[in-house]
Amino acid sequence: MNRRDWLITSAAVTGSAVTVRFRHRKYSRDLRPKQSRVAILHADQYSDRLDELVYEGLRLFNLDVRGKSVLLKPNIVEYIPGKPVNTDAQLIGAAAEAFLRLDAASVVVAEGPGHHRDTDLLVHETGLNDQLRQRKITFVDLNRDDLIKTQLQANYSGLGELWLPRSVLDSDFIVSMPKVKTHHWAGVTLSLKNMFGIVPGSRYGWPKNILHWAGIHESILDICATVRPHFVIADGIVGMEGDGPLNGTAKELHTILLSDDPVAADSILARFLGSEPSTVMHIQEAGRFIGNHEGVVL
Amino acid sequence: MCMRVFRQIFCLKNLIFFMGLVEDLQAEIEARSLTKGGWASGNGSRASVETTCYGLMALHDRRSDARDIAIDFLLQIQNRDGSWPAFDGDDAEGCWTTATVLIALRFANAQFTDFEKSISWLLANKGREGHWFWKWKFKTVDRAVQFNPDKSGWPWFPGTVSWIIPTAFTMIALSQWLPCCRAGEIRNRIELGMEMLRDRACPQGGWNAGNGIVFGAALKPHIDSTAIALLALSDNADPIAIQGVKWLRLDCIDCSSVYSLSWATLALLMHRDGALNRCVVNLLRALSANSSVSNIEALSLAVIAINAVQGNGNPFQVGV
Repeated sequence: MNRRDWLITSAAVTGSAVTVRFRHRKYSRDLRPKQSRVAILHADQYSDRLDELVYEGLRLFNLDVRGKSVLLKPNIVEYIPGKPVNTDAQLIGAAAEAFLRLDAASVVVAEGPGHHRDTDLLVHETGLNDQLRQRKITFVDLNRDDLIKTQLQANYSGLGELWLPRSVLDSDFIVSMPKVKTHHWAGVTLSLKNMFGIVPGSRYGWPKNILHWAGIHESILDICATVRPHFVIADGIVGMEGDGPLNGTAKELHTILLSDDPVAADSILARFLGSEPSTVMHIQEAGRFIGNHEGVVL
Repeated sequence: MCMRVFRQIFCLKNLIFFMGLVEDLQAEIEARSLTKGGWASGNGSRASVETTCYGLMALHDRRSDARDIAIDFLLQIQNRDGSWPAFDGDDAEGCWTTATVLIALRFANAQFTDFEKSISWLLANKGREGHWFWKWKFKTVDRAVQFNPDKSGWPWFPGTVSWIIPTAFTMIALSQWLPCCRAGEIRNRIELGMEMLRDRACPQGGWNAGNGIVFGAALKPHIDSTAIALLALSDNADPIAIQGVKWLRLDCIDCSSVYSLSWATLALLMHRDGALNRCVVNLLRALSANSSVSNIEALSLAVIAINAVQGNGNPFQVGV
């Protein structure tokens, strides 16, 4: 066998293995709604006007959050001046305000940054602290929360179970608030990938390296099958393309995307970034049991 | 308590007033001790091993029930293989906290004789890139993250690659326990750990969580990673350490975090850097802010740092 034959054979064996791996059903429940809804809001910049825009956008969905505990999960990775790597603090503040106006019993902002152990510093540097203080919103560091051992509701990664934060598991309504970005390993980092941040650093390290070794796509699917975000508010006013999650250039999309289905949201957002959702393994596979690839645009 | 800290900063001309402040902070830490022993991290109600180590270091010379039951707690939850878990009730898998416990128990002069198993566990644990297959992968196929896999340290948890903070903590723990046993092996691993730290420094000085460069772009260093790495690289003449101190000196000027400033204080003190005073002033200023005082880790680290500045011992000191 020459080198060329060896390469072809290896590729065929690998391809078959991957196909077989994904042919078997690996999830325990089908979480797809009958119909998914999406709203695409236009916003040129981050300003106080987002408060009204997000509130009116949420009203389109007639969400029943009255008396519920709402947890907003933004994407706060690292503070790099001039690089739009984090969900903008103004948008997070506007979302918190909007849910309170919709009579949520409580709203907290919760994140477990992947690389940065000093969450206080990161929250301060990104301007989130000012927003939270101004609006009297509590922040929960998911890297240092009480943990509950949780059986994963899908088995793509082989992890079986994860210790997850009580604050997340006890919330009635979880909102994934990703920054719209491309990602070197995951293709894109949107509302599904954003849920990596609920995995606690105090149990899995900074970064949560076990998830990378178990497979990024596979871990995303297992986490989202277990803790499916109820809603998405994606920050695409200024997104980022390039070698995310940290390196890249700003991409002005002038968009805030709202959706009651993270798979529908990510499918649309991936296209905004120039990727076909079918080429992003976790989005493609999530369409089988977490949500729908298509949604009705409100 | 916050107001008292604030008043002390602005009313006293000389910074050598720490005693009252430290006692206040220690009393606060004692008051937050859990009934079963130890301290919880963040919003938690279960004792975190890392937080407990810092709490114990902060109370190391104080006659205190909280100190004593923290030691009992740590000894009770040690895994059979000599390692420590991440928190009370965790699975019996060891992790990086094994190194922090060794540092804390030694600093608190705890009665602890079963240390050989812990040292052996640390020596057996290494970053996954140290395995020949992954070395080969990182040298040939996976070049996006640029580092030399021949130079490995310690992971946060077994089965993953080396990262700066667990590597530095383990180097410190092994250095401190060096006379105990297996000296040759310990020295070799510490040397390899030093090479790993030097290899992964950021180009501008200092350290991020892991590599200094990813996809050809330099990553921004973190204050805590840099300070902890500098505590492990205690040689003041090491060019990488000098560069790290230089970065740290500049970055802690505007920092407002008690947690990061405490680490920076410890590192600048160990490297006898002139920016120490300014860093301590910033630390005191940050302590007066309400938001930081809720965090028991940050409070404990502040006490550890202030105590060290006063000459009351630095738990992370090596080479003594």
